[in-house]
Amino acid sequence: MKHYFILLLVVLFFAVPAGVLVLISLAPGWRFPDVWPGAFSFSGIAFFLQQKEQIFSSLASSFVFSLLTVGVTFFMCLLPAAVFARNDFTGKAVLEGLLLTPALVPPMTFAMGLHFFFIKLSLADTLPGVVIILAIFSYPYMFRALVAGFQTMGEHYRICARNLGAGPFAILWQVELPLLMPAVVAGGSVVFLVAFSEYFLVFLMGGGRVASFTGLLMPLLSSSNRSLAAALTLIFLLLPVGLFFILDLSLMRSYRKKGMA
Amino acid sequence: MSWTDNRAGRLISGLAPLLLPYLVLFCGGVMLTICQSFGVFTPLPHAGAALDAYAKILTDPAFFSSFGFSLGVAMASAFCAMAAGTFLAYQVWQLPAKLATAALIYKIPLILPHISVAFVVLVFWSPSGIVASIAHYLGIIQSMHAFPNILYSGWGLGMVLAYTLKGTPFAMLLVLALLVRFDVRQIQTAAMLGASGVRIFFFIVLPRMAPAMHTSFIILFLYGFGSFDIPFVLGESRPGMLSIHVYNLYFKHDLARRPEAMAILTMMFFFAVIFIIAYAKIVQRLENGVRKL
Repeated sequence: MKHYFILLLVVLFFAVPAGVLVLISLAPGWRFPDVWPGAFSFSGIAFFLQQKEQIFSSLASSFVFSLLTVGVTFFMCLLPAAVFARNDFTGKAVLEGLLLTPALVPPMTFAMGLHFFFIKLSLADTLPGVVIILAIFSYPYMFRALVAGFQTMGEHYRICARNLGAGPFAILWQVELPLLMPAVVAGGSVVFLVAFSEYFLVFLMGGGRVASFTGLLMPLLSSSNRSLAAALTLIFLLLPVGLFFILDLSLMRSYRKKGMA
Repeated sequence: MSWTDNRAGRLISGLAPLLLPYLVLFCGGVMLTICQSFGVFTPLPHAGAALDAYAKILTDPAFFSSFGFSLGVAMASAFCAMAAGTFLAYQVWQLPAKLATAALIYKIPLILPHISVAFVVLVFWSPSGIVASIAHYLGIIQSMHAFPNILYSGWGLGMVLAYTLKGTPFAMLLVLALLVRFDVRQIQTAAMLGASGVRIFFFIVLPRMAPAMHTSFIILFLYGFGSFDIPFVLGESRPGMLSIHVYNLYFKHDLARRPEAMAILTMMFFFAVIFIIAYAKIVQRLENGVRKL
């Protein structure tokens, strides 16, 4: 009984809002004091279909810069994470703390300082500018995940492969990366979500030139067309969930193929 | 070259892909913010003394009320999210496997962007929102004007609600990660020795979850303190959050006021750094006094 109560609580807090968004997207005329929508219509969805090109392009743009951010943070963190996991040196704890600060301090504090500099370098209002600022803000998640991944993997696989005559590149590509995949996926998912859902940094560095889904959504949130805003928010929910689901499945499949799981 | 030089060189070159962007972009960015607060590297040549911007801000009562307001909103939301997240994580952890899988829906707000969570709060708590409709249906209020002004009460309640909704699953995630490694036998032993559920929670489970609780509190507090997205949707004008204040100075006023925006950012940065260090110190001291199991 108590268990069901807890589950009810979790559903009430976290799933009901999503359910309400579904209702709003299907019932544009739902207003106070109706507890349940009086009429359902697809006019919100129809409007959504009218705008599909703009929606699709901003969704694609968000997707591209988020994936690029994941890629950039991965390459930034791979080697340093290996070094961190395998070596002890003086000041390691302090350095680790320092390297994690970009995710902790308000991103405005360094992004706005950089903005002027990015304008001078013509990086402002460009895709690379957006990716760079998002990478600086989100790499700590990738770094933490990779360090943990290297630590759980241990050194035995590497030593074994080396004894069998594998070069450093073969070790990385054929032995370590496949074993590191769960950590990469874990870190990458967080980085993707952070980049995908960020509004301010993209607005600042993209200056409206780099389209983003959050940038499209923001003006709609306070507009009268609540059902379009709700529908877009649902896409926000479904897209990453779908992506992670596919990623998990393909990861499991590749592991089974190799006989690792 | 001696062995140590060689090793140090290898370490540094190994860390370079991260150290370089960190130093150039993060530290460089903060430095540029600080420089601009002194009127150096500003888009307009700065007339006046280096500390003018600080003098102007520190004599402005609006800055202090805004600072206090940001602090309060961040404290309240981080605390609520941490407390709710810890409680729910402990309860979800105790669920039987089948129900625990269903409880995975707690991750929904984790995926939603901040602005969407703010939208959800707007939908539920505005005077014409769902909570008001339910209250009307139950006969608690007669019209929407009778609904308490939660979102624009001047207390930032809307923002606290949004940050809490977004932060609770995050705290749950961190606490659950620790609970996975928690030995159930400790709870069973305590129960056999006659400890009540409440006592078990506060004296056995809570101390073991403390690290995750501290981490989530620091992260959520600093996020709430300096982020822009949620206040931009739910913010009240007076007193406003610091981030909105900076945004207005940066984008809506003329370029001559740029140093003021940067001075506020500089103070926010150092406040965040001092907060992290102080919090870590306090936690360390507290933990030294706790008996380890």
